[in-house]
Amino acid sequence: MNPEEAAQIPRRTTRSLASSSASTSNNASSAKVNSLEPLTINDLLVGGDPISLDELFSNFPGRSSQILEIVSLLGPLNTPMLPLFVYGGASTGKTSIILQLFRHLNRPLVYSSCRTSYNQRILFESILNQLHLHRKSSANGYSNAKRCERPSDFINFLREALTDAINNLKEKSAKLISGKTMAQGGIGNMIYLVFDNFQLVREWDKSSTLLPFLFNLYDLLKIPEVGLIFISNTSPDTFYSSNMGYVEPIPVYFPDYTDADIRKILSRNQADSKLYSSFLDVALRSFFRVTRQVDELSTAFKPLYEKYCEPLSDKRVFPNGDKDKDMKRKLFSHINPHITSSLNEIFKVSSHPSVEVENSKEANLKVNQRKLERREEIAKLDFHMSTSAKYLLISAFLASRNPATLDASLFDSKGGSHNRKRKRKPSEKVPERKESLEEELLMKGPGSFPLERLLAIFQCIVSVAEDSSDEDKQSGELMSDVLLQLSSLCNAKFIFKGRSCPIEGSVRYRSTVSEDLALKVARSLKFPLSSYLYKRT
Amino acid sequence: MEMKRENHKGKALNLLRSRVCDPKFAFKALYNSPESNYSKLKFMISSSVTEACNNSILLLGPRGSGKISVLELVIRDLLDEYPDSISVIRLSGLLHGDDISAFKEIARQLCMEHQLLFSKSASFDDNSQFMVAMLKECGLAHKTVIFVLDEFDLFAQGKQRLLYSLLDAMQSVTSQAVVVGISCRLDADQLLEKRVRSRFSHRKLLFMPPSMEDSQSLLVHMLTIPVDSSFPRDYAIEFNRKVQNIVEDKRFKETFSNYLNFDSSVKHLLKFLFCAISHMDLKTGFLSLENFKTAFSSINRQPKLECLRNSSILELYILVCMKRLEVKEKSFCNFNSVMKEYKSIHDSFQTSDYYDRNVCLRAFEHLINRELICFADNRGHSLSVEYRPVKLLISSAELNQGLRAYHSCPAILQKLMDREG
Repeated sequence: MNPEEAAQIPRRTTRSLASSSASTSNNASSAKVNSLEPLTINDLLVGGDPISLDELFSNFPGRSSQILEIVSLLGPLNTPMLPLFVYGGASTGKTSIILQLFRHLNRPLVYSSCRTSYNQRILFESILNQLHLHRKSSANGYSNAKRCERPSDFINFLREALTDAINNLKEKSAKLISGKTMAQGGIGNMIYLVFDNFQLVREWDKSSTLLPFLFNLYDLLKIPEVGLIFISNTSPDTFYSSNMGYVEPIPVYFPDYTDADIRKILSRNQADSKLYSSFLDVALRSFFRVTRQVDELSTAFKPLYEKYCEPLSDKRVFPNGDKDKDMKRKLFSHINPHITSSLNEIFKVSSHPSVEVENSKEANLKVNQRKLERREEIAKLDFHMSTSAKYLLISAFLASRNPATLDASLFDSKGGSHNRKRKRKPSEKVPERKESLEEELLMKGPGSFPLERLLAIFQCIVSVAEDSSDEDKQSGELMSDVLLQLSSLCNAKFIFKGRSCPIEGSVRYRSTVSEDLALKVARSLKFPLSSYLYKRT
Repeated sequence: MEMKRENHKGKALNLLRSRVCDPKFAFKALYNSPESNYSKLKFMISSSVTEACNNSILLLGPRGSGKISVLELVIRDLLDEYPDSISVIRLSGLLHGDDISAFKEIARQLCMEHQLLFSKSASFDDNSQFMVAMLKECGLAHKTVIFVLDEFDLFAQGKQRLLYSLLDAMQSVTSQAVVVGISCRLDADQLLEKRVRSRFSHRKLLFMPPSMEDSQSLLVHMLTIPVDSSFPRDYAIEFNRKVQNIVEDKRFKETFSNYLNFDSSVKHLLKFLFCAISHMDLKTGFLSLENFKTAFSSINRQPKLECLRNSSILELYILVCMKRLEVKEKSFCNFNSVMKEYKSIHDSFQTSDYYDRNVCLRAFEHLINRELICFADNRGHSLSVEYRPVKLLISSAELNQGLRAYHSCPAILQKLMDREG
């Protein structure tokens, strides 16, 4: 589709855009066009200052054998290669090493990530855009170079684009050879296609044709000047499908970092490396038992390291400043009680506590471990929800937790708390039945409920709240936007919406909040949640 | 002089790499004899070109045995011999499996060959009529059209309209066409409908993987650099002698036969050669046995054991808990039950590794990402992660092996595994 056709398709515009005068929009677009130059083949290079192989080794500690392996598989300039499959765990440096390696080798690269190009069409069009050196701008209506949905079209377009680009490169290198002596050896005649996050392709629609197609791409194209590199988090055997086979690419494995490598990585860019390494001596071993991924470790260590360095500025602990001989031991004894609690928070991204909480925590610094834990349990809800959303969340939690038959006794029109005394006595259940009920709770998860039940419970709870509260500003407003609140709770994944079953009738919902969160929400509303919970034991 | 020496080592490397990456070189060597598939295929197609008749043939064989490469060699030779009497249309069952895109692609390629204008908006009927008309015209002009149908078994799914109309056109109008079907399914002709099969001649060529001796001689052939003016004479002779030495070494024979036991197709062999050649030491300029050993170990991997070696200790705990639940024959296992087992282990053995629930949940998700465990339900995501049933993707033997190989594995885990198994 050429640009003229794209401009003629009627586009929906907003009122503001249509009302702005034509002259200003034209000026703006022409100004933009002038400021962006057209792309050349050099833009396919990774760019940046050239780096040497030694710099690459020092930038990526522990990866020298993988770097050398990839360099030898890629080969010297202008040699063909078979497709490569680079795989390894998360945050092992695959993408960054490949990109930096191409910066070092100075060869043209077409990079596409299967995470940002999240379906087949976008992947194809992004690759074609890069090969055609096409930049999306207002001049061409932000359209792609070619419209391409199917693999059959893609292979034809790709072949054309690659042949053009390769001829372009050949002309360039011919000019270089005939001109002055080559400064760095030129950028060669080959183009490399890199598919990152390839493991995501397995979950796309039409992946059963797309995967064999991409793996066989090298054979289908029959262009020796193309190199293919696939980067994935999972090993090649997770791509096997019963549908179709392909000749497997050559695997390159990136193992996770060892203890020593992680120390080197985390110690880079640290101001005081000796202090940091003594900190790592203390903390790394215990954290290493939980996770070995570099990104999680570095996020967890940052606040812990600050805590570790705290006593250094405290004159009471270190009267001699840095020259204290017992420095390590003192720092260790300071940090030790905090390590275990920090371990349990390792994956939590906590919001910043308010200043009052910080001050009170410092005052209780001498308190032992248990009290710290309990303090966290009664922490406040750290995000904001409107009152009606909170009531809706509680009613959803109750609807999932309690069996439907109990509703009548728990919620009568007045609220029901005074009916508790007349409720049936908790039957003495046989211990095995108790255990099996508990297991059922563990296994099956929260129950589902229809919309009517949720609204009925909500209405009961809200009427109780209105009765008990003196403020009458809440009286009409809580009911008005219930359905809107319900859909936003579904979007926030607090409530799951099931598919509508034609036999059962309406859609059924399921609450997914944990009991802790429900208790927190109830406490913020001063709602006695525990009196409404059906106790199975 | 030094530069020149460096140059020819690099040149040798380049030559070997381009040989390996181009499958046609390998298959030309393999199929040189007069009894081979190459000669048979060439004879068949050239006779239908010269005798102006129609023909159809199936090329069958496992993946990577050279069916397309041999066909391309034959076509290349025929295009040299009869430059104006052949045109080739290439289709792939993977890309053009549905009839609409198949006809569109045929029309597009025919237009490109004969410099006609191709309209993208032509309908299915237009395209099929165009194809029949072109076949008739080509027949009258004594031009043979060769249809190459790759992944033939994918064309045989559905209604087989393309196959039927193609074969029917060949029989009814005055056409000269050869249909070559290529497939990895050895029973591809059984998939054809009755009316299609009756119009298809039952000629089949089987491409079997080469025997061990043939593979070995192919390897020697591929790695021998020519003793002519492009390389210094003594370097070339030394290189070839070294290759011969390696091939006769007993250790190499063992590695090689281990490698080919897994998959003896030629493409697999070429992968092996590529890895070995890329590790060639450019300082000496010669191949060595070490290169082949490195290639073997880098291609043959054990991904699950590698994943286990990368796991943290908490993740190993979770795996052992799941294995114990499996042994206890709990049919249903989800994160909550794993946590219960974890807690019971901690209570009975007082381990030092007892972590919070959300830490364990995150480790659980790491295991799912690594594909050591997976969800056992496919019905969508109406339950949260803690309640969905999961199953192990590694066997207890692999888990045992992984635990033993783990360098700082807590002894308790081994004990737990042994106690149950």
